[in-house]
Amino acid sequence: MALVLARKGVGRKGEPWSALPFLLPAYGLFLLFMVLPVLEALWLSLHREDLFGRGREWVGLGNFQEVLARPEFWKSALLTLKFALVVAPLELALGLLAALLVYRPYPGVAFFRTLFFLTTAVPTAVAAVAWGWFLHPVGGWANRLLAGLGLPPQPWLTSPDLALYTLGVITAWAGVGFTAILLTAGLQNIPEEVLEAATVDGASPWTRFFRITLPLLSPTLFLVGLLVVLKSLTAFGQIHLLTRGGPAESSMVWIYRVYQDAFFNFQVPLAAAEALLLFLVLLLLAALQFWLIGRRVHYAA
Amino acid sequence: MRLRKLLPTYLLASAYAFLLVLPLLTLLSASLRAEGDLYAPGLLPPHPTLEPYREALSRYPLPRFLLNSLLVSTAVTLGVLATSLLAAYALTRLRFRGREALFGLAVALLLVPGEVTFLPLYLLVDRLGWLDTYAALTVPFMASPLGVFLLRQYLRTLPEDYFDAARIDGATHWQALRHVALPLSAPALGALAALTFIGTWNMYLWPLVVTKSREMQTAQIAVNFILNEEVARWNVVAAGAILVLLPTLIAFLLAQRAFVRGIALGGLKG
Amino acid sequence: MGMRGFFLAKAGLLTALLLGTAQAQRTTVEFWHSMGGVLGEATEALVKEFNASQNRVQVKAQYVGSYDDGINKLLAALRAGRGFPHVIQVYDIGARIMADSGAVVPLEDLARRNGFDLDRFLPQPRNYYTVDGKLYGLAFNSSNPILYFNMAAFQEAGIPFKPTWSLKDLEEAARKLTKKDAQGRTVRYGLSIPIDSWFVEQISYNSGEYFCNNENGRRARAMAVAFDNPAAVAFLDTYARLVREGVAANTGRNWADSQSLFAQGQAAIASYSTASLTGVLRQVGNRFPLRTAYYPYLKERNGVAIGGAALYVLKGFPEAETQGAWEFVRFLLEPKTQAKWHLATGYFPVVKGVAELPEVRQAHVRQANYTTAIQQLATSKVNNASAGCLMGAFPEIRQYVQAAWEEVLKGKPAQEALREAKAKADAALERYNRGVAGR
Repeated sequence: MALVLARKGVGRKGEPWSALPFLLPAYGLFLLFMVLPVLEALWLSLHREDLFGRGREWVGLGNFQEVLARPEFWKSALLTLKFALVVAPLELALGLLAALLVYRPYPGVAFFRTLFFLTTAVPTAVAAVAWGWFLHPVGGWANRLLAGLGLPPQPWLTSPDLALYTLGVITAWAGVGFTAILLTAGLQNIPEEVLEAATVDGASPWTRFFRITLPLLSPTLFLVGLLVVLKSLTAFGQIHLLTRGGPAESSMVWIYRVYQDAFFNFQVPLAAAEALLLFLVLLLLAALQFWLIGRRVHYAA
Repeated sequence: MRLRKLLPTYLLASAYAFLLVLPLLTLLSASLRAEGDLYAPGLLPPHPTLEPYREALSRYPLPRFLLNSLLVSTAVTLGVLATSLLAAYALTRLRFRGREALFGLAVALLLVPGEVTFLPLYLLVDRLGWLDTYAALTVPFMASPLGVFLLRQYLRTLPEDYFDAARIDGATHWQALRHVALPLSAPALGALAALTFIGTWNMYLWPLVVTKSREMQTAQIAVNFILNEEVARWNVVAAGAILVLLPTLIAFLLAQRAFVRGIALGGLKG
Repeated sequence: MGMRGFFLAKAGLLTALLLGTAQAQRTTVEFWHSMGGVLGEATEALVKEFNASQNRVQVKAQYVGSYDDGINKLLAALRAGRGFPHVIQVYDIGARIMADSGAVVPLEDLARRNGFDLDRFLPQPRNYYTVDGKLYGLAFNSSNPILYFNMAAFQEAGIPFKPTWSLKDLEEAARKLTKKDAQGRTVRYGLSIPIDSWFVEQISYNSGEYFCNNENGRRARAMAVAFDNPAAVAFLDTYARLVREGVAANTGRNWADSQSLFAQGQAAIASYSTASLTGVLRQVGNRFPLRTAYYPYLKERNGVAIGGAALYVLKGFPEAETQGAWEFVRFLLEPKTQAKWHLATGYFPVVKGVAELPEVRQAHVRQANYTTAIQQLATSKVNNASAGCLMGAFPEIRQYVQAAWEEVLKGKPAQEALREAKAKADAALERYNRGVAGR
């Protein structure tokens, strides 16, 4: 990470080294507390040792081979994808609905805004506890509501077929305030004249929404989508508090497997390899999304 | 007439809002019940009591936990604002070789999940002798790739003219930072502050591992502990969770406008 | 305290006279534990009492989260080579790991050096924590699994109480105790057991089967698991069948959720640890009379192994501090301390002669359910099956057993699910053994 400064600031006063004091605090901390640990994780992943960190020996890419040969690992990768595919559309759809309901002023809009944005202020642990109680197998409201509709109770978090979806809903719930804020701002940024012109042209509200609003909102949607996907790939707290990766490993998403292998199964080098692979995927995904944004997104400005 | 046109909006918004806050309402309801009433039907507790709160407060040093969270979150937020603004200024206003690479590094680091570096970071913090101190909870997080990213993007949108004017006036970079970049980026800083504060307040895996004594623990772990310790006493668990929720909720309600504007600006200038 | 207290006080006074202030000379012993809630209060009370009983050793107790959190913090500290406590509480299944760590001063060495007679221990707690012929840990909080009955439901269904139950008997009783409404929906389940590997382990032991090879890892280091035994298979198949019939409840892995169900009268039979008794009694209140019985078996009752956790004294401290740690351990082994601990928590005493103490007897008359665990232990056969499985990677392996249980509930035959879990568990065990073999 050599920082090579230009010999001469182009059209700027000051010394070539003048950037250093500006950069040092942030990049010094990055170096010490992020880059160094990543390198150490890489170093660990190339070794084998016992659970007490003794008898460390070089195994090259052995751990990566072992990880990639485990069917559980691929199952986790698939679950992670599934989880993101549950969370992202749900959170975007709910966020968009909320935003459409409050982006224009009307009497009482402030009240609804407050409620719709509220989950932003709910810490993950509190959200997990609230949902844990809401879905409780004995006194939970979710099942009472179902009973009121004449439906049988559901094993929300105890069925391997259901747990991942339930966690997806909880994750979307926890994030939807944030998404709604961003999408509301995005909707408010669409120039009023464009919509008015369309109204004059006789476009129906649906046409207006799909032909004008949605395309103009697409840069925002992409950006928010990126954030939501990335957040869902590293969602941890709610899983840790509610299912611990179960039942029957049905919510053992990638990040949770890393945690499980490192801090429960005491396979630190193996976990380091898994974590680095996840890091790689996140990087690739982000690069892809940036590329897509650059190419496809219709910039309003 | 206008009301009739708005009626569907009101109905839809009310239904959505009710479903959205229902889990929190049931939690609140549980926190006001005695253990015997816990499973009694209805959203309203049959015999409302503050006993679970008294118990949660007497068994756990919740004020201390909350104070720790506040101290840690404030320190990290201030640190992130300072380091990010400095770096973002250099990345936009100064020209040097490797500038784009450094920005790329921040973007890459943005994606490093905490769990990847967890153990090495723990060993490092231990080597520094920081276990069970505020330093372990704050210093490693005082620089944020997200902060550098957001502020860099924001500063890039500021009109060149302001800086040109400052330069013509003979201002140094420090002066330009202090008198031009800082005030102009207030909305972005507000956004970053909100994001960082929530993010830090929400941390719990890290504090769980680096703290041992109760005096050092944060509100998030309190929820964890109470959930673990009060096995089936959901009323006490709920009371503890509500008490942990209150400060952020109040902060949100009081500063909602600034908070929302901040997040919107910060999140959108990508 | 009597003589001993007087002696200690005198020794402390002497130290104080010789070395100035007593406070300055007190050896500090750090103690990490995972006892939360009521159990945590009881633990802190014992520590306080110990600190007040003498003035040479000051124990500083620290709650470090769940058992998993505790062993994680310990392993990280051992890796770093510092920051670990003098005494740590580690769960039952960490016994092999603790012995392999090389970081523990075996309790047996401390006891011999200080003239403590190991025969004062009950055989099961001693056997459980004996690794390669040496006693490593002090069985601090020891429990075993018992059955919990809602006697109102029993009466209603006309089922008489009895203390010992085969799996078959239990299944029949559960069917009779189940109540369904007009739509065929269960209003009261016959049986509720949380999904926890511990219950699979215990049905194996109680039926005379091993959970891992080499006789539960007692004759030689365990190299493979043996949880695909007939008892475990029958247990999981039975449970899954009952869940499908609406006779047994599936409340997942969370014990608390099953306990709520039982306490609400929505499950007539349940199985938890003896240490759950205080909490369950409080939750039940006077909704119905509660009785407890021995854990079930497949064909013939052998005996259950102890569960819970043990205290380990760690190496790497000055002699005086290790001695201080021993004094604390020694204090915990006093029959009077054991009696207090037992009555406050429901964990049973691990040294002989505690059940005969008057305060314990009186309490047992008041609440006879507290004697079930002790009686179960006393009537258990002492052999390598009831010694419990000793193996590395046990925490990981438990996860595989629990996942297998959940697979069986989904419809997979137990034989198949357990065999698949065995492949994963054997691989984990092999990895563990390979790691520590060179030491």
